[in-house]
Amino acid sequence: MARITLDELTKVYDPGGEAVVAADTVSLEVADGEFLVLVGPSGCGKSTTLRCIAGLEDITDGTLLFDDHDVTDYRASERDVAMVFQNYALYPHMTVRQNIGFGLKLSTKMTADEIDDRVVGVAEMLGIEELLGDKPKALSGGQQQRVALGRAIVREPEVFLMDEPLSNLDAKLRSDMRTELQELQQDLDVTTVYVTHDQTEAMAMGDRIAVMNAGELQQVGPPEEVYRHPSNEFVADFIGSPSINLFSASVNDGTLIGPGDFTYTLEDPLPVDGHDTVRVGIRPEDITLIEDGTNHATVTVVEPMGNENFCYMDLEDIEMTARVEPTKRPVADQRVAFGFEEEALYLFDAATGDALKTKTDDSTPDLHPEVSN
Amino acid sequence: MREQRRKDAVWKFLTYSFIIVMTIGMMVPLYWMIVAATLPQEEFIRFPPRLYPGTEFFANFAVLHEETQFVISIWNSVFIAVVYTALSVILCSMAGFAFAKYEFRFKEPIFYLILATLVLPIQLLVIPLFLMMAQIDWTDTFRAIILPWLANPIGIFLMRQNMKSIPDALLESARMDGATEFQIFYRIALPAMRSSIAALAIILFLFQWDLFLYPLVILEDPGNYTIPVALSGLEESRRINYDQIMVASSLAIIPMAILFLVLQKQFVSGILAGSLKE
Repeated sequence: MARITLDELTKVYDPGGEAVVAADTVSLEVADGEFLVLVGPSGCGKSTTLRCIAGLEDITDGTLLFDDHDVTDYRASERDVAMVFQNYALYPHMTVRQNIGFGLKLSTKMTADEIDDRVVGVAEMLGIEELLGDKPKALSGGQQQRVALGRAIVREPEVFLMDEPLSNLDAKLRSDMRTELQELQQDLDVTTVYVTHDQTEAMAMGDRIAVMNAGELQQVGPPEEVYRHPSNEFVADFIGSPSINLFSASVNDGTLIGPGDFTYTLEDPLPVDGHDTVRVGIRPEDITLIEDGTNHATVTVVEPMGNENFCYMDLEDIEMTARVEPTKRPVADQRVAFGFEEEALYLFDAATGDALKTKTDDSTPDLHPEVSN
Repeated sequence: MREQRRKDAVWKFLTYSFIIVMTIGMMVPLYWMIVAATLPQEEFIRFPPRLYPGTEFFANFAVLHEETQFVISIWNSVFIAVVYTALSVILCSMAGFAFAKYEFRFKEPIFYLILATLVLPIQLLVIPLFLMMAQIDWTDTFRAIILPWLANPIGIFLMRQNMKSIPDALLESARMDGATEFQIFYRIALPAMRSSIAALAIILFLFQWDLFLYPLVILEDPGNYTIPVALSGLEESRRINYDQIMVASSLAIIPMAILFLVLQKQFVSGILAGSLKE
């Protein structure tokens, strides 16, 4: 097992003389045995960063350490890492047995019998021992996924790298495999870097998550921390489903004045001190529909989820989402009053996006939307 | 509804008729060649022609062999075509793989330069190639027939297009499994390209099998003649021996036919491979 250290890792692509910075001075440490999820929108540099760790891309600048070894200039095969690809990348002309054993055959001096023992052991662990004689074409998506995992596990690498390994599976299978992957990682205790664009997956799986945008690392931390205390507006917006409600508000003597006659007087105006305008963020679950209040919005659509309702409302031209109890079911075009607690309020610098205030309530909120009641 | 069905039936009839006529048009000369090979010379030029096989095939073949050492020519052609095909398949696949999957300086210009050589007709190359071969004392050798054509632009193009369809992740995965670049080529890329290679093999074999002008210039000893060269000798002698030409031609298509029958399934899917983006 290994600790991974990225020190100002930079990757610049130069297609046709036009430099594109895919990863910009990314510094990050992944602890031994940790499950770190790299998350961000497509094109944010998360896959590039993973490929740099894998050795599939040359690192333009910066260093990469496994424990204390500088592996920056090592080739992929010398790094002792195993990778699971999004499309599994199984060798189509080989059987499952050959697919799983291929790496051992090439990179170790093990005998054919020893390799076979290892392959069978891994196949049993993943429950695919009866598929060993099949070609990948004959397998279902989930089975192919297991073979791809088996191929990574069998080599007993220092580091697992996973590039959106679940994105080709259907929703049900994906959530099953999610749990299974986590259990597997805990059993094997191998340092894992997992890339996904799905923030739900990131929240659910990661010991810590690292949010990237436009090649830059935005924030690294445990899921709850990133959710509750985002370092900037991008992170707040990206993490959480449905996403946070954001709008601009001008500051007048500690009072926020926003679109649609939104006003709110801060009990603690210190965070907005010296700001004329700020960005206001409120999580959908922190909005409550109340009988009477100062702030009103017009309901556009209500989506009943069974256990809760998603209430979409217009605050002038800003669309807001509120997660409310199933009993609260306003109709379209209805004007409703809404409220929120100041502890739940997020405030961001209008120019830089940096967080001025994040959640200050102590209660542990419901972090995982799909397990909420 | 019924109107539409009748229209469909008419179209189907017309399509099939067209295909049948075309097929007959292509098969008749072939059939006539085989029939003629079995007829004595007198019957061949009789009118109306005889349309069913005679019994003189072996007699005609005996005469042919006496005059031209035709069995040796068949062996020469097979040997040259097989060695050429094997070597050229390897070379074209490697070049195609490099052009499809590696980045290097001047990759595109080099590739288009190779493609551009397609506009040069063989006739134009024959004399300079002969002079080169004469300089290194290679005239009248098989290697002089094989070597200049090994890097076949059509072969390189075909393999490049098809190799592009191999997902990069597959190669990267092999790289992470510890495969060298050459292992990636022959353990991953080549097996994945089996049908394209079958198509390529047929194309290359056919190219070398039909090559006429160049071997005619290079080869001197009749014992080294390939089939097309030996065939041309029949026309040049005192009179044109149609029966022998027909025997020789019939024999000449056998290896091609066998190769195609063996590889036809792969050939078709190989030609289609890479035509759809996956």
